[in-house]
Amino acid sequence: MSPQTRFIPKQLLRQEFLLLMVVLLEVGFFLCTAKNFGTSDNISNIIRHSAEIGLLTLAMMPVILTGGIDLSVGSLMGFCAVMFGVITHDWHVATPPAAALTLLAGLLAGAFNALLITALRLPPLIVTLGTYSLFRGLAEAITQGTKTYRSFDSDFINLGEIHWVGMPIQAWIFASAALFFYLLVHRTTFGRSFRAIGFSPEGTRYAGISVQKRTALPYLLTGITAALASLLFTARLHQARADAGMGYELYAVTAVVLGGTSIFGGTGTVHGTLAGITAIAVLSNGIGRVPAVFKAGVGGELAALLTGALLLIALTAPGIGNHLAKMFAKDSTNLEKLKPSVSQHAQKTPILPS
Amino acid sequence: MPPLLLRLSDIKKSFGAVKALKGVSFELRPGEVHALLGENGAGKSTLIKVITGAHIPDSGTLEISGGIVSHLTPTRSQELGISCIYQQPALFSDLSVSENIGLRLEKNGPFGKVNWKQRHKTAVALLQRIGANIRPETHVSELSMPEQQLVEIACALGSGAKIVIMDEPTASLTRSEQELLFGVVRDLRTSGAGVIYISHRLEEIFALADRVTVLRDGESVCTRSVRSAAGKNELSEDELIRLMVGRDVASIYPPRESARGEVILELQNISCAAGRIRDINLSVRAGEVLGLAGLVGAGRTELARVLFGITPADSGSIHLDGRELVVRNPRQAVCLGIAYVPEDRRRHGVILPMPITENISMAVHSKLFPAQWLNFQRERDLGKRFVHALGIKASSPDALGGSLSGGNQQKVSLARWLATEPRLLILDEPTQGVDVGAKSEIHRIIRDLAAKGLAVIMISSDLPEILGMSDRIAVMREGRIAEILDGASASAQSVMSAALRSA
Amino acid sequence: MKTYFRELSVLVTLAILLVILAIFAPHFYEWQPLLSRLTAQVPALILALGVGIVMISRQIDISVGSQFGLCAVLAGTVAANGYGLPTALAAAVSAGTLMGALNGWLIAGMKLPSIVVTLATMVTWAEVLRLFQQGKFVNLPAGIQWFGLSQLGGQIFLISFGCVTVVVGAHFLKTRSLGRYIYAVGSDAEAARLSGIHSGWVTFSVFILMGVLAGLAAVLNLVQSPQVDPKCGVGLELRAIAAGVVGGIAVNGGRGTLWGVFVGLLLLSTINPALTFLHVEAYWEKAIQGLVILLAVVADGFRVRHHSR
Repeated sequence: MSPQTRFIPKQLLRQEFLLLMVVLLEVGFFLCTAKNFGTSDNISNIIRHSAEIGLLTLAMMPVILTGGIDLSVGSLMGFCAVMFGVITHDWHVATPPAAALTLLAGLLAGAFNALLITALRLPPLIVTLGTYSLFRGLAEAITQGTKTYRSFDSDFINLGEIHWVGMPIQAWIFASAALFFYLLVHRTTFGRSFRAIGFSPEGTRYAGISVQKRTALPYLLTGITAALASLLFTARLHQARADAGMGYELYAVTAVVLGGTSIFGGTGTVHGTLAGITAIAVLSNGIGRVPAVFKAGVGGELAALLTGALLLIALTAPGIGNHLAKMFAKDSTNLEKLKPSVSQHAQKTPILPS
Repeated sequence: MPPLLLRLSDIKKSFGAVKALKGVSFELRPGEVHALLGENGAGKSTLIKVITGAHIPDSGTLEISGGIVSHLTPTRSQELGISCIYQQPALFSDLSVSENIGLRLEKNGPFGKVNWKQRHKTAVALLQRIGANIRPETHVSELSMPEQQLVEIACALGSGAKIVIMDEPTASLTRSEQELLFGVVRDLRTSGAGVIYISHRLEEIFALADRVTVLRDGESVCTRSVRSAAGKNELSEDELIRLMVGRDVASIYPPRESARGEVILELQNISCAAGRIRDINLSVRAGEVLGLAGLVGAGRTELARVLFGITPADSGSIHLDGRELVVRNPRQAVCLGIAYVPEDRRRHGVILPMPITENISMAVHSKLFPAQWLNFQRERDLGKRFVHALGIKASSPDALGGSLSGGNQQKVSLARWLATEPRLLILDEPTQGVDVGAKSEIHRIIRDLAAKGLAVIMISSDLPEILGMSDRIAVMREGRIAEILDGASASAQSVMSAALRSA
Repeated sequence: MKTYFRELSVLVTLAILLVILAIFAPHFYEWQPLLSRLTAQVPALILALGVGIVMISRQIDISVGSQFGLCAVLAGTVAANGYGLPTALAAAVSAGTLMGALNGWLIAGMKLPSIVVTLATMVTWAEVLRLFQQGKFVNLPAGIQWFGLSQLGGQIFLISFGCVTVVVGAHFLKTRSLGRYIYAVGSDAEAARLSGIHSGWVTFSVFILMGVLAGLAAVLNLVQSPQVDPKCGVGLELRAIAAGVVGGIAVNGGRGTLWGVFVGLLLLSTINPALTFLHVEAYWEKAIQGLVILLAVVADGFRVRHHSR
C-alpha cells in the first residue's frame, strides 16, 4: 500500500471504486449506443467543455475538506469574465497583463470570502450565498445585464482551440491544476490541516495550528481558479458575459460529493474528485450523442437530471448498503465500532458547514 | 420489605465480538443511593444505557418496579420513571431555562398547546427546591457549566423520577454546588426514590452511598454495604480500589526526586479579564512539578489558556528562560516551547477520526516537515517511537484516535506535546476519566519528564493526585493565587482550606 | 425587547427606507402599483416562511425554487386541462408534499446533510421540469386568474392570505408543542432525543410542511397571471433564505421568528423598487441583495461574539 492510501478509510475506497465502475459503465454504454463517442475529436471535445467546471471542482474540494463550502464560484466566474472584458475593452490593456489582472481580481474576491469566513468567523454557506448574489450582481451591473464583450486577441482565442502534443491546451491546464491540488491535499501539511480542520477546528487550534490562516487558503484558491476558468470560458466562446459559469457551483459541489468527499469535512481525496468530474463530464457528453436523445434535443436536460439522480444515489448508497450489510451480517463489529465516532462527528458538526 | 425499584439479572450485551457486559446483576431499593464503581471500560456506561433503554441487552432480565420489561426504549424508560443526569448537560442552549424544563417534563401531543405560565411556575418551584439561583427566563447559553448541570438536576427532580441515574455529576461543580447536589440526592433518598450514583471520587461514595456495586470487565464483582447498621464504615478505600482493579495497588504515586534547576517560567502580575484571572505571580523551575489546585472555576484552566495563547493576557509579563515574551496564539506558544495538554481530550486533545500518528505529528509539522512537504516515513517513525515510549495500547500506530480508550487517548494527546520537546508542559486534569492502571502510568511518565528537566504545571481536581505528584502546590481561588504550599508537607486540609477560605 | 431586537432593527431599517422613499419618490406610494408589488411578493413570502421554519430546525432547503416551479407547471397543466382551480391546488400541494417527503426521508431517515440532499433534488426537479416543459409557458383558461374575482379582490385576498399565514405560523411556532419541538431540535438534536422528542419525525414534518407550502405558494403565484412561466421558481430559494437570514433566523438553528422572515422579505422586496424610484439602475438589485445578506450575517457575527464575551 502506498503511504497516502494507508490513511484513507475503507468506506471511501469503496466509494471511489464504485465511482470508477460507474465511469467505466458509462463509457462502455456510450461506446455502444452513442454516435462518435469514442473518436479523438469527441474526447478533446469533452475535455474542452468540462475543463472549466473541472477546475472549479478541483478548487472546491479543499474547501469542502475543511468543512466549508463555496457557493460563489460560478458567480465569481461571471464577475471575472466581465472584469476581463472591461480590462481589455474599456481600459485597453493588452491581453497578457489583462489576464493577470483578472486572476488578481479573482484572488481578491476569494480573499473577500476568506476574510468574512475566517476573520469574522461567519458560516461559509451563508457568506458565499451572499457573495453568490453579490458577484453575479456586480457582473450584471457592470454589463447593464446585456452587454457582451466580443472580439478578443486571436492568440487568446487560440487558447480555446489549439492542441499541444495531441491534447487541447485546456487538458494541460486542467492536468496541472489537478496535480497541484493533489499534491496540496495529499502531500503537504496544508492538506493535512485542511482535514484536521474539517474534523475539528477547535482541536486543530489546540494543536498549535493557525486555523484561520489555513482555512482562508482554499477560498483564495477558489477565487484564483474561478478567474482562470473564466479566461478559458471566454477563450472558448469568444465572448465575455455576465452569465458565465451560471449554475457551475452546483456541478462543482456535486462532483466533489460524488467523488466521496464528506460534506462535513475531514475525509476525501483528490483522485476521488477527479473520478467525480469524469463521471459527470462523460455523462453529459455521451447522453447527448445517444441518437434518440439527440433527436429529441434534450441532451442537456437529461444529463443534468442524471447528475442530480447520480448524486442522490451516491448519497444514499452507503446508507442502504450498510443497512443491507447489517441485515445479512451477523458479525457487525465494524459497523458498531464505526457508529459512535461517526455520529459524534455528525453531532458536533453543525448541519450547515460553518 | 418494599419491592425493588429496579432489578437486573445476568444482563449480557455484546457489540460484535466485544463483550461489553458479561452477566451483570444489579438491584436498586427505594430510598437507596447505590453507587456504581469500576474502571473505565468496565461496562458502567453500557449498563446505564441498558437501564435508560438506549441499548437492548442480548440476554438477561430487566425488572422495573416488580414488572419484567422487555424492549425498553428511551421514551418508555422515562415513562417508567427513570431519569438520567449525564456528565455533559444535554440542554437546548438557544432556549430559556423554563422551556428546557418544560420540554423535558411536559407530555404533550405535537399539536397540544404550550402553557407558558405553567412552565414558568414549574421552573421557579423546581429551581427553588434545589436552591439554585437561576432566573427561569435566562437562555441556557448564558449559564455556566455548573449552572447548566443544576438545571439538569431540576429536570430530573421535576420528572418525579423513581430512579435517578447520576453519571459523574460533580465533575464540573464547585464545592458549594456539590453541596447543593448532595442535598438533592439526600432529598431524593428520603422521598423514597432510588439513586444510581457513578463517580470516580471515592470520598463522595463514602459520603453519599448506602451500597456500592463494583463492575470489572463487564461483570458485577460484588455489591457491598458502605455502612453497617451501626453507621460504621464497612469498606475502606483500599479495599474498593482492590475490588475495582482486582489486584493490590501498592504505592500509587512514584517517588519525588528533588533535583530542581533554574527558573523556566516566571509570571508577574498576569491578568486576563476574559479568563477572569487577576495578578498572577508564579514561577516554575526545571525539573519541578507544580500542582495547580483549586475549585473548578477558580481560574486554573483559564491561566493555562493564557499561557498557551488561547486567551492572551491583558496585562502583566511572562518570562520564559529569562526572556520576556507575549503569547498571542497557540501557534506561537508551540514555537516558544510551551505545551498544553487540554482538559477535554475528546474535543481538544485528540482529533478522534484521525490516526494516532497524524495526531502525534500535528504540533510538530514545521519541525518534521520544514518545507511543508509531508514525509510519511519520518511521521511514522515518530509515531512508533511515542506509541512505544508511552505504552499506547492500539492495534497499530495507524489506528484512529477514536478507537482508543480514554487513557490511551490521553497518552496520544501527551505524545503530541512531548514531540514538540517543550520547555514547559502544562497538563490540565491529565487523569480525569482515566482508569486506575493508566492513571499510575501517566503519573510515572510525568515524573520521568520532570526528571529530564522539564518544567511541569499540573492542574488537577484530584486532591490525592495533587498531593502525591506536586513538588509545590499553587492553590487558586477566585482568579488569584491564594497560597503556594510545599508539596511534601502539604495536606488535603491545607490545600482545601486555601482553596475555600474567603478572602 | 431583547428577544425581538433583530426583528425591530430590520423594521426600523425598513421604516427609514420607506421614509426616504416618501420624501424623494412619493410615486412609490401610488395605490395600484404598490398593491401589485405586494401581491407579487406573497408566493415568495409563503416560501420564505417555510424556509424559515426549515432553518430554525437547523436544516436548509435550496430545492424550494425547483419545487415551486414544478408545482406551478403541474397545477397550470391541470387547470389548463379544465379541471378547475381546486383540483389544481390539490395537485400542486400533493406534488409539493411528495417532494418534501423525499427530502425529509433522505435527511431525517437516511441522516444525510440537507445542503447536499436539497442540492441534488434542486437539480433533479429543475431538470425534470425542463425536460418535460422545454421552456414552454402554460396558458391558463379564463376564470383562474384572481380566482375569478376582480383584480383588486384577488390582490386583497392574496395579501390578506399572506398576512394571516404569518400570524398563524408565528402563533403555531410559539404556542404548539410541535412548534417548540422545531426550536428544540434546531437548538440541539441530542438534547431533543434525551427529552423524548423524536427529532427525526420533527425534521421530516418540517420538510413535509415545506413541500406543502411550496405547492401552495405555486398556486398563489399561478393565479396572478394568465400564463405559467416554467422558470418562475428560479432563484426563489435564494430569496427565501435571504429573507430568513436578514430577519434574524440563526443559520445554526434554534433562533429566529417568522415575524423576522416577514420583515426581512419586506425589506428585501422594497430595495428593488426603491432603486428604480431613486433612479439607481435596476441591474444593481442582485448585488445589493448580496450585500444585504452579508450585512445581516456580519451583524449576527458581531452580536454573537459580543455575547460570548
